[in-house]
Amino acid sequence: MSDYIPVTDRERADMLVSIGVSNVSELFKDVPEKLKVKSLGLPGGLSQQEVAEKLAGIASTNRVYRSCMRGAGAYRHYIPSVVKAMVSRSEFVTAYTPYQAEMSQGILRAMYEYQTYIALLTGMDVSNASLYNGATAAAEAALMTCERNRIKVIASGNVRPDTLKVMKTYLSAKGMELVVLPDLNGVTDLGALRSALGEDSASVYVEQPNYYGLIEDLSAIGSEAHAKGAKFIVGCNPIALGLLAAPAECGADIAVGEGQPLGMSLAFGGPYLGFLACKDKDVRKIPGRIVGETVDRDMRKAYVLTLQPREQHIKRERASSNICSNEALCALTAAVYMGAMGKEGMREVASACVSYAHYAAKKFTEAGLKLRYDGEFFHEFVTVSPGKADAILDALDKRDILGGLKLDDDAILWCFTELNSKDEIDEAAELIGGAI
Amino acid sequence: MKADKLIFERSSRGARAATIRRPDVPTYTLKCAVRQELDFPEIPEVTLVRHYTALSREAFGVDNGFYPLGSCTMKYNPKLDEEIAALSGFTDIHPLAPEKSVQGALEVIYSLGEALKEITGMDAVTLQPAAGAHGEYTGLSIINAYHKGRGDFARKKIIVPDSAHGTNPASAAMAGFEVINIPSDRDKGVDLDALRAAAGADTAALMLTNPTTLGLFEKNIEEIAEIVHSAGGLLYYDGANLNAVMGIVRPGDMGFDVVHLNLHKTFSTPHGGGGPGSGPVGCKAALEKYLPDPRVVRKDDGKYAFAYSEDSIGKVSSFYGNFLVYLKAYAYILTLGAEGIRRSAEGAVLNANYLKSNISDLYSTEEGRCCMHEFVASVEKLKEETGVTAMDIAKAMIDRGMHPPTMYFPAIVHEALMFEPTETEDKATLDEAIAVLREIYAEAKETPETLKKAPHSAPISRPDEILAARSQKLRWKKQ
Amino acid sequence: MSLYFSKSHEWADVNGNTAKVGITDYAAGELGDVVYVELPEVGARANAGERLCEVESVKAASEIYSPVSGVVTAVNTALEDAPELINEDAMAAWICELEIDGIPEGLIDEDTYKAGL
Repeated sequence: MSDYIPVTDRERADMLVSIGVSNVSELFKDVPEKLKVKSLGLPGGLSQQEVAEKLAGIASTNRVYRSCMRGAGAYRHYIPSVVKAMVSRSEFVTAYTPYQAEMSQGILRAMYEYQTYIALLTGMDVSNASLYNGATAAAEAALMTCERNRIKVIASGNVRPDTLKVMKTYLSAKGMELVVLPDLNGVTDLGALRSALGEDSASVYVEQPNYYGLIEDLSAIGSEAHAKGAKFIVGCNPIALGLLAAPAECGADIAVGEGQPLGMSLAFGGPYLGFLACKDKDVRKIPGRIVGETVDRDMRKAYVLTLQPREQHIKRERASSNICSNEALCALTAAVYMGAMGKEGMREVASACVSYAHYAAKKFTEAGLKLRYDGEFFHEFVTVSPGKADAILDALDKRDILGGLKLDDDAILWCFTELNSKDEIDEAAELIGGAI
Repeated sequence: MKADKLIFERSSRGARAATIRRPDVPTYTLKCAVRQELDFPEIPEVTLVRHYTALSREAFGVDNGFYPLGSCTMKYNPKLDEEIAALSGFTDIHPLAPEKSVQGALEVIYSLGEALKEITGMDAVTLQPAAGAHGEYTGLSIINAYHKGRGDFARKKIIVPDSAHGTNPASAAMAGFEVINIPSDRDKGVDLDALRAAAGADTAALMLTNPTTLGLFEKNIEEIAEIVHSAGGLLYYDGANLNAVMGIVRPGDMGFDVVHLNLHKTFSTPHGGGGPGSGPVGCKAALEKYLPDPRVVRKDDGKYAFAYSEDSIGKVSSFYGNFLVYLKAYAYILTLGAEGIRRSAEGAVLNANYLKSNISDLYSTEEGRCCMHEFVASVEKLKEETGVTAMDIAKAMIDRGMHPPTMYFPAIVHEALMFEPTETEDKATLDEAIAVLREIYAEAKETPETLKKAPHSAPISRPDEILAARSQKLRWKKQ
Repeated sequence: MSLYFSKSHEWADVNGNTAKVGITDYAAGELGDVVYVELPEVGARANAGERLCEVESVKAASEIYSPVSGVVTAVNTALEDAPELINEDAMAAWICELEIDGIPEGLIDEDTYKAGL
């Protein structure tokens, strides 16, 4: 019923005359008649009002919990109003990739600022202008480390499962191998890592904090990797970097991560933001777009897409990656978020996450759960209570609380952020006590 | 405020914008190495708002004006779809929430998949790929798994025409294939003899976009399909140009086995200055079991659930791809319906032909054939006569408030300008564009030196890309 | 005669069993402004007619084929910071030096090369 086509019937008739054909179907005479579809087996179009009503109805069948204690790769944080207000400006939303620099200085400059934020956050030299999400960023980083005789990427078993799966897909296509190590008390097993490393190791990948929320000893892992000539890739939660040492300080050669916590909603998994930063010497191996500073012909400061020969539209099958469209608007979101939070806000958010998580861990253990690991954690932790995972989560669900993620019949992975509160946690602890 | 400073140059010690609730639990101090300083800027909220407002004024989207960027399908992005994608019931649901709590989201995934199956003539669809190139990679990985699943390990080559999008060969390489480039014939279509020579027992697939990147329908498509299929290979459809033919001819009926779509092109989701996009992949039944995990199925009781396949290529993305993006595409498809989809393709082709027929006396285009949703004009002759290049014409359009067409693509046409007006432009806008292009042509003839200096009205003009590449200033640094 | 050319626009300046290698002025002109030279690794083996390294301009990346076979003994690190040397004088801007196996067949002298342009 609605179709967003503004040309009127009268104008169409005039246009056909101007083109020199008698009707629209003549424009399609190159299409073999027998291949044409009579009509699509789809319902008729709806009015805008009907579409709004139908999708509002579908949205209402999704349950938005009063309280959320689940993370595991997707994190609920406070999103300042200024973030949505700025990012929803339609000049940003409805623009294409900034190929025409003269018309896109605003977007190019925003991307340049995003690259700077990511470099500052990770301590690395240089960032690209975004990748699809944290999992593909890890996979692309792993491919960057592939060399002629170094074709094995070693990952810790406590890497988020989705990330491992995506890495496996990407690496196996290129004839590389993903070696997954068993963990030791939830963290990377340095002994196992040492034995796995060899002349054919391209890189080591770990996450900080890891899937179980534990803080890894990055410097020790990095030293092991470097001792065997392998690169060290760290996947990091950007919120945690408000407090934790920057990956570059811990020896990382490449830092990647899921940028969703930087102002993006949960959104059932996407769109999210993959970030990737590395050292200057590896800049030509970086996948995807990069914005650089230059001057225009009147010596005014200007920003352009640069180092383009790396990319698919020039190097084709020899490109560093096939990526074209990235997650520019999500990168903009992250940039506005980091600007809105600023130096102090980033630290406060991280501190609130840590404090609520540790308070919850204390209350939950008092209620009868046990912590599965004794290492230091950031804002996620794993509890065990033999055979009781379902009972606990059901009890919380009945009170409109989305509990942690069930890992097995005994174990639950919990997450807390600045959006949780003492009352919620106390209430959950009481429900847990009743369920076990 | 002028857009003359970086955000880092606006920092003021002690200033801040957003604030959060003070935690009502004891502050916990981590027992591990912590960072000494995070050198982020400190910005008051009003400055932050003015900074980004100033940047937005130096950006140009479909909402600002005509955007005939060939191959990119810059159609209008409905406001309704944006509003739907901002509903709390969609934005505030956790991807790992219990299935029973996200039935609406699963319904969207399932129903959009069903609609895309019908539009493309495929038997199964995944929405996991986050963009077109990601879809190509996924589709080619499925093809790889299919051949290997049949015990055929010899098919290591992907055939790609020289006019293809750069992502085609790049994706083939990412998926572990060797790329065989074949030339175009005199009509700028696939050279059938070259294809026959290239296709064989080592051919995994031919990648093709139809209409081609020249905006022409590949008339020999049935013969092409026959050549590839009889060599045991598959046919891959690059859906970048589907806007020309949706509702008119389906890739599945043309003989394609695997297809990716660019929802941010054909199905009107905004491009966000470079993304996020969404690149669903469809395939024929024989390849279905190789699609990425998980997929959404509708059970007998009407409930939706995730399903997994032992033969799946695995995962290509976190979770289920760019949910809010394909949600917008679903809203768009519901609005258009079967007829609206066909009318959109017709409108796109009508607008492209109208624009073409009114400038082709000055700008050389493919003669004697109707173009599809886009066309390529060459200013090679103008360049010989005046020195004015495709780049100069493009920059002159900027001065007249229009986004330029795609320049210098496809590479097989010299001094190429590729126009794609889309169906969401009215006749007045097209007439204005025609007038502008004719005026620029006249200017090229009379005062070419003025055009060489265009744009005159933009914040910058002709940035030095050589300096950018040599100096590699890729981030701000404290002085 | 010590200066040889390949039909793919590389030159080799042979001195005994070593040779310096670069691209011709014509090739540099075709490439446009060179912004990056990917130097080969010292110790790497090069085969005549096969990929030696890559040279980038703003809008292109071109493979450079080795005119001779041998082992790379030195690279011109000046090109790392000043790739424009190739545009200024391509015949002086050597990319690398090799210890060569011999003079491969198919190389031509300067006059023949220039006549073929």
